[in-house]
Amino acid sequence: MSSMAKQTQQRTAVLQGTLDMLILRTLLYGPAHGHQIGKHIQRTTNEFLQMQHGSLYPALHRLERRGWVVSKWETAPDRNREFKYYRLTDKGRKQLIVEESQWKRMAEAVARVMWPTAPEEN
Amino acid sequence: MKWWQMKKRDADLERELRSDLDLEEEEQRERGVPAEEARYAARRAFGNATLIREQTHEAWGWAPVERLSQDVRYALRQLVRSPGFTVTAVLTLALGIGATTAIFSLVNAVLLRPLPFPGQDRLMWLSQQDHSLPGEAPESLSYPDYFDWRAQNHTFSGIATYFGGGSTLEMNGDSQRVDAQTVSSNFFAVLGVAPMLGRDFRWEDEKPSNRTVMLSYSLWQSAFGASRDIAGKTIRMDDHAYTVAGVMPKGFRFPLNGPPAAVWVSIADDAEGKKTGMRGYDVLSAIGRLKPGVGVEQARADLSLIASQLARQYPDTNKQDSSALVEPELRHMTGDTGPALRVLFDAVTLVLLMVCANVAGLLLVRTARRGGEFALRAAIGASRGAIMRQLLVESVTLSLCGGIAGVALGYGLMHAMVRLVPLNIPRMQDASVDGRVLVFALVVSVATGLLFGVVPAWRMSQGAPALALRDGSRGVAGRRGQNRVHNGLVVAQTAIGLVLLVSSGLLMRSFVRILDVDPGFDPRHVLSARIGVPFARYKHDQHVQFFQRLLTSVSALPGVKSASAGWPLPMSDSYATISFNIQGRPIARGDEPGEALGLAMPGYFETMRIPLVAGRLFLEQDGVKGPPTIIINQAFADKYFPGTNPLGQHMQIRLGDDVFEQSIREIVGVVGNTKLRGLAAATQPAYYLPYPQAVVTNPYIVIRASGDPALLEGGLRAAVHDIDKSVPVYQVATLEDYVSKSAAQPRFQTLLLGCFAGIALILAAIGLYGLLSYMVVQRSLEIGLRMALGARRSDILAHIVRRGLVLTLIGICAGLAIAAGMTRLLAGMLYGIRSSDPVTFAVMAGLLLLVSVAASSVPAWRAARLDPNQALHEQ
Repeated sequence: MSSMAKQTQQRTAVLQGTLDMLILRTLLYGPAHGHQIGKHIQRTTNEFLQMQHGSLYPALHRLERRGWVVSKWETAPDRNREFKYYRLTDKGRKQLIVEESQWKRMAEAVARVMWPTAPEEN
Repeated sequence: MKWWQMKKRDADLERELRSDLDLEEEEQRERGVPAEEARYAARRAFGNATLIREQTHEAWGWAPVERLSQDVRYALRQLVRSPGFTVTAVLTLALGIGATTAIFSLVNAVLLRPLPFPGQDRLMWLSQQDHSLPGEAPESLSYPDYFDWRAQNHTFSGIATYFGGGSTLEMNGDSQRVDAQTVSSNFFAVLGVAPMLGRDFRWEDEKPSNRTVMLSYSLWQSAFGASRDIAGKTIRMDDHAYTVAGVMPKGFRFPLNGPPAAVWVSIADDAEGKKTGMRGYDVLSAIGRLKPGVGVEQARADLSLIASQLARQYPDTNKQDSSALVEPELRHMTGDTGPALRVLFDAVTLVLLMVCANVAGLLLVRTARRGGEFALRAAIGASRGAIMRQLLVESVTLSLCGGIAGVALGYGLMHAMVRLVPLNIPRMQDASVDGRVLVFALVVSVATGLLFGVVPAWRMSQGAPALALRDGSRGVAGRRGQNRVHNGLVVAQTAIGLVLLVSSGLLMRSFVRILDVDPGFDPRHVLSARIGVPFARYKHDQHVQFFQRLLTSVSALPGVKSASAGWPLPMSDSYATISFNIQGRPIARGDEPGEALGLAMPGYFETMRIPLVAGRLFLEQDGVKGPPTIIINQAFADKYFPGTNPLGQHMQIRLGDDVFEQSIREIVGVVGNTKLRGLAAATQPAYYLPYPQAVVTNPYIVIRASGDPALLEGGLRAAVHDIDKSVPVYQVATLEDYVSKSAAQPRFQTLLLGCFAGIALILAAIGLYGLLSYMVVQRSLEIGLRMALGARRSDILAHIVRRGLVLTLIGICAGLAIAAGMTRLLAGMLYGIRSSDPVTFAVMAGLLLLVSVAASSVPAWRAARLDPNQALHEQ
């Protein structure tokens, strides 16, 4: 039982890092609320990332605690109702660059292992 | 985010989730999905809301606190749900933690608290070393020695002396006896405390005719109405005028042992009496303040150098005192009581360990009963860590409850101990529950909870959920591992219990031996008191006449058999060793031996019922002008006149050095030995001079009554008052009071350790009883089966009792081995009995065995009465 719990934890941990980056990247376009962020990620990946919107909220709150985003209740222009809008901070922008380069390096590393016949760059 | 904002934060999250969920639903509907279906679709797209909420909480970073508070709430609910278990466990824990806290508060007050003086770690107790005696033998200083130490040392910023006594304070024709200390002028400066009113002593106050007094806060309050202009005024003490220098702050006290001083007087009076010039008049205690950066050894070497020079320069008086002793004041003061308190603390720690084992046993049974609950929790995903955490939180919660009750109990116990036992342990009266004691209680509680909780928690987290679920909450055969642990706990309790029983048994036997000691006099029906006759008003002859008159009138009182006077009283604080020489045995003056001195009026030995061994007792003829005579005790005769008749031999006593004429005295009698320094003390050689030939300021009057001696106090006071109403009568007590006081410390230890042993015995019995009762319940099916197959009830009974006996015997064997090692710590406290006394060991092991059999027989009897039909049915 406990070993299964551990596996689940590891899987979300991998996903978490990616999710943080995706959220930060989405917010680069401007402030958005949770629903919008979720919808945007789903649309842009052509529904490839089948994620439940719910998993966004722990991530959003974690990002807020780290000071990478700030939140504010604002009235949506089209709905005449208040939503909790998240906005990227300067710290968040810097973090996005860090995560982006880390992701790139990891993707390259994985690629080198997966397709070793690819010509070396030097 | 702070945890107290959690509620607000939670509401915010709720609103956020709700608004986004609503939006999703709206969008679904806008896409043409029917309303009902839109809601479900939205929920599906959203995911598990509870999980999201939990994960978000985790993201806030306060999950551990939340989990802990959840665990504590759950633990409290569990404890409330089984009040029987909770009350038993909390009471047991309260007993253990309470007793430990009470003893620790004594240890804290007496041993751990620093002295109440600034820079107290540099305050040193100082003394000369008497090299005529083996080991460390402190010898007090004389004034000339002190002046030389004070002037010649390089290691102290100041050295002060003090010398305890009493003074008669005269106010408006009335007189009051007060405890006084005669101190050097730098006394308060060395201690680092300034008077709250008036001025400190000055160097001039040491000169003759500059009699100065410092008042204690309490005397200032009680006798002088807290008058703020008291400084500079003149008061009368001991028939002399003293100038009041000032008042010391409230709570100031030094020395810390003995009765607190009401006044401190300058040494001017001693200077006028020429005592400040007498080398060999060794009465002063000394305290010094080390210069910064100077170590104890360095200071000792410094003072020893001075002492050795003095020994060469003044061989007549200082030959034996050729080095110095230096010890931190705090350590010196607590030196005697340290081991006794440490033994008590060790004992109470053992009680606490037994409490732990006991509660662990209770908890083991309880967690085993809750096996199903934990199996279920494990089956639905609780990790091993989570279950262990939950169980540990439960046990620590339990022990904290016990700790709270324990602190309350400990507070009461501490006050009872301090009040009920009139002990002359310095600072014991200051015992209180302070911050350090509370922290100690908290640490002990948490540690106790972890200690007794870890075993059941570990056992439970090891279990296989499937097995436990199948077995239900009540296992058939019981888990072997769990039983092994439980057996181990019972064996440990038995072993520890025996160690405590043997220790207290040894102390008890030793105490009985002490009480059996013949003090050498008959303390029953004797009243004693001190009479402070001022030397200034009563010269030698008048002094003796005063006492002759007093004894005549007291003897005539109804209910008085006989009355006399003397000094010192056996087992009182008074004591003096004076050197002497025996005629015909030439010896250098500095090498003369010293023995205990006594002074006796005619009739003293008769009233005390000290038997005459040879010769005669003192008579009226041994008066002021009579021939110089002396009486020795049996031990003195054995030591100095072995095989020869001491009667008719002559001795010269170095009493008062150059002040009194040192006449050659003829030995006229030999009397029986008396215990001078306490019942347990060794018998000492002693000699007695006729009181008229060597008077002291404050002798003891002893009155043998035909009935209750306490009833004579009024008559005595009236008799003294009739002669001179300014003469105070004080320290009124029966001789039995002195004897009982001399046994106070062993009584205190015996009483406390006896209580601990009693608790230990009960705990051991409860532990065994609990284990066997549980075993009977657990194995009722097996017992039922055996009976159904023909086992007799007596077989079942024997089986269970045998089980208890085996465990007890293992525990007793372990306990005997441990006790044999540990009772050696008691050796210094035992009188007339060896720490390995086989009788005590055997009797206590037997007692424990007996109690264990009794504890086993109840569950065994219950098992034997089991109805096999019903037992098989229930399963």
